[in-house]
Amino acid sequence: MRRLLLTLLLVPTVAQAGGGVRDAGYVRIPAGEYKSALRYEDGDGRTKVAAFSLMKRPVTNAEFLAFVRAYPEWRRDRAPSVFAEPGHYLSHWRSPVDLGPANLPLQPVTQVSWFAATAYCEAQGARLPTWAEWEYVAAADETRRDARSDPAWRERILGWYSKPANVAMSPVGKGPSNVYGVQDMHGLVWEWAEDYAAMMVSGDNREQKADDRLKFCGAGAIAMDDRENYAVLMRVAMLSSLEADDSTSSLGFRCAR
Amino acid sequence: MKSLLATAMLMLSGAVAAATPLPATSVLQLSSRFTDQDGKSFVLSDRRGHVQVVSMFYSSCKFVCPLLIDSGLGLDKALTAAERAKLRVLLISLDPARDTTAALNALATKRKLDRTRWTLARTDKDGVRKTAALLDVRYRQLADGEFNHTSGLILLDSEGRILTRTEKLGATPDPAFLAAVRKALKASK
Amino acid sequence: MKRLTYPLLIAFAAGVLTLAIARDKTSTPDSHELGAAMVDTGGSAAGDFGPPQGEPIQAILTSPPNVPPPTGRHAPAKVIVNLEVREVEKEISEGVKYTFWTFGGTVPGSFIRIRQGDTVEFHLNNHPDSKMPHNIDLHAVTGPGGGAASSFTAPGHSSQFTFKALNAGLFVYHCATAPVGMHVANGMYGLILVEPPQGLPKVDREYYVMQGDFYTVGKYREKGLQAFDMQKAIEENATYVLFNGSEGSLLGDNALKANVGDKIRLFVGNGGPNLASSFHVIGEIFDKVWFEGGSKYQENVQTTMVPPGGSAIVEFHSEVPGTSVIVDHALFRAFNKGALGMMKFTGPDNLAVYSGKEIDSVYLGDKAVSSAPVAAAASAAASGSLTLDQQVKAGGALFNGTCSTCHQANGAGLPNVFPPLAKSDFLAADKQRAIGIVVNGRTGPITVNGADFNSVMPPMSQLNDDEIAHILTFVLNSWGNPGGKVSAEEVAKVRASTTPPPGAAH
Repeated sequence: MRRLLLTLLLVPTVAQAGGGVRDAGYVRIPAGEYKSALRYEDGDGRTKVAAFSLMKRPVTNAEFLAFVRAYPEWRRDRAPSVFAEPGHYLSHWRSPVDLGPANLPLQPVTQVSWFAATAYCEAQGARLPTWAEWEYVAAADETRRDARSDPAWRERILGWYSKPANVAMSPVGKGPSNVYGVQDMHGLVWEWAEDYAAMMVSGDNREQKADDRLKFCGAGAIAMDDRENYAVLMRVAMLSSLEADDSTSSLGFRCAR
Repeated sequence: MKSLLATAMLMLSGAVAAATPLPATSVLQLSSRFTDQDGKSFVLSDRRGHVQVVSMFYSSCKFVCPLLIDSGLGLDKALTAAERAKLRVLLISLDPARDTTAALNALATKRKLDRTRWTLARTDKDGVRKTAALLDVRYRQLADGEFNHTSGLILLDSEGRILTRTEKLGATPDPAFLAAVRKALKASK
Repeated sequence: MKRLTYPLLIAFAAGVLTLAIARDKTSTPDSHELGAAMVDTGGSAAGDFGPPQGEPIQAILTSPPNVPPPTGRHAPAKVIVNLEVREVEKEISEGVKYTFWTFGGTVPGSFIRIRQGDTVEFHLNNHPDSKMPHNIDLHAVTGPGGGAASSFTAPGHSSQFTFKALNAGLFVYHCATAPVGMHVANGMYGLILVEPPQGLPKVDREYYVMQGDFYTVGKYREKGLQAFDMQKAIEENATYVLFNGSEGSLLGDNALKANVGDKIRLFVGNGGPNLASSFHVIGEIFDKVWFEGGSKYQENVQTTMVPPGGSAIVEFHSEVPGTSVIVDHALFRAFNKGALGMMKFTGPDNLAVYSGKEIDSVYLGDKAVSSAPVAAAASAAASGSLTLDQQVKAGGALFNGTCSTCHQANGAGLPNVFPPLAKSDFLAADKQRAIGIVVNGRTGPITVNGADFNSVMPPMSQLNDDEIAHILTFVLNSWGNPGGKVSAEEVAKVRASTTPPPGAAH
């Protein structure tokens, strides 16, 4: 009975928080096309992106905590291991439903699996962004839609990779907004994509042209078109090393609609 | 009172199977709905209780996917009749847009598949993504509608836990995989 | 009768001699001799000695510069290797920090020692705090990617694969995750020794030295946490070229040690990513070089080439006490980018072999021996507590070997050539001008203490603002000069507001 009361109390809070964050949290991204840093053997080299909305910032600890409280099947002590690796999933929180003092509510949530991230977005009536959508928005800086050929842009991003991951993470929203109004695409966390499984990069970086027809039923693995774009290269390598139940301390997500 | 209830439950062996939760590592926990080649709807947990060989394919695939069916048939042939009766084969389409129920039905007929044990199934795009994630199948749809995908046969025990997988395809089964199938069948009822 | 045989004998001898000479001119080398010189080890085809025997062995992994002991095995074994990948922030040079990606927490990574024919069960463990996925390519592996395809590991996970070492040799291993160049430039390399079946000949000491080139956004020795500079890496414009991942790794207390009379073996590697090493030990000749880390050796070698992704095994015998300097003989890398190490030999003099003084006082000018005051000044400056005394001490250490070369250790200079710094009226008159001279150099006539000089002083572009400040403070407080101090900020101001002469490095 008490649990029912508690749930009833929580529901409006979640709905309110969800409602408030939900609408204010998304930014409209206009349709467009761009040249991906990845070389796809099909297509003409231009990737088209339909108009969509993307969350302004990555999902925070507080937001994910509200989700876990509303959907207790996603608590770290209840989620089936096939959906979220035990020992990793939300392992940094003090308890299954409590962040503890070591984690700030506004830090991006990490140690979440693809299934957990997908479930969160679905509960919002949303989904994870595709890699193409993510790369499209991530190409921007504060003033340009495509800043990728600017060495300064690359250096800034590579600077994040040089910082070790055991320093406290910054809360979301501290960085500048890019030209679309989206923040923290770089410098904070890796982010899940809906089609992470399409990142079929061979574990061995040198096998860029190896044509293993039986392995990939068709042409070979994805190759990098822009070999100087280390920022993107490393994201692709990261996504292709993961399985859907994995989580790491530098991996978070945001939703799209 | 409680013990009477417990005893009553114990006597209903079928109910017991349904009541105990699936193991934490079972892929049958996926809640997505599937439709088989005969139009019947099911969820993966409906298939609990049988050892299964599972894979993902699409019917217009010209290269590997026919090989997948050949591999399944090769496995069938290598088993005894008693073993075969216990084995289920489930092939899930990556391409629900083109692999309609009718198309899957036609394929099952063309390849003369034993529908009492073979299932060709489709689900929605979301279900495809989640199934692939659970089975660690990587795939990408190409501009012309074809797919790049990793291929292999995955062996599940009767509770839906992944036992092993093989990427060696062909009418002659991978000996290590065949041995694993036999072992799993022996352990199941 | 006798009279006949004598001429016959001579004729016979002459005939034989003629024949012999003729034969010498036209004969080919004996095929047996040729065969003896060209015998090979059989390569990988002959490298499988059958299944492993005995209990599995946990491999002993060592951190540089140490090497695990010889395996001492006579039969193939199963060896289990557990190698952890960790991303760690360490000093690359005094006061300069860098985030290295490492195998086993060190650059280079742990040394692995096995025997030809061993079966290795390799576990690659990627620490949960890592940001990046990593894998490993061991050049000792016969198989796809050298193991890289089978060891792609996300943070907080572990991968396992098994291989049999079919070829003997000293092999490089490195991370092969995209972008490979960056992973290697961040320090992800090491050595694995596959002993030949009969083992290596016994020596007294074995050490592990691996060269690498590093690329930072900041200049050489610019203090603080430095980030990887991708553009410089692509242009192969190295900021640091180092042995064992840091400037001081083989200097001072970290110098390699040996006794006079020791037979010494160095396992030398080059992780790259870009630059080849011209490996040389000053004051020593390599008695044997297993060039390219292979199965044959050359003798009596001064400098040996170690390409990136390659190795060499060098052996030499020490006869005299003193310090030998280990360098990449591409000299500007040794003296301006840090490719410098030391080996100290202790023991009795052997004047018949070498009668001179210690080498390091000539070459290094106490640069390495007295680096402590410079380090003390750097950390004091970082915490805002730098004192005059610390500056003077640091400046004195830096003065030797740099300025003393021309102005002499006592500041006296050289009459008609180099002006004195001792009790210098020119110096005392204008501190800003003095700073400018060290930063930008000076040519043309000047008068110091009544004497005329007309010479060229090159700009000291290898010195940074802190170092110039310390040196000038030292000079102002020495040899009867008026005292005072110079701060790094003052030097920075002069540097910013004046233009360096054309051709000066910056």
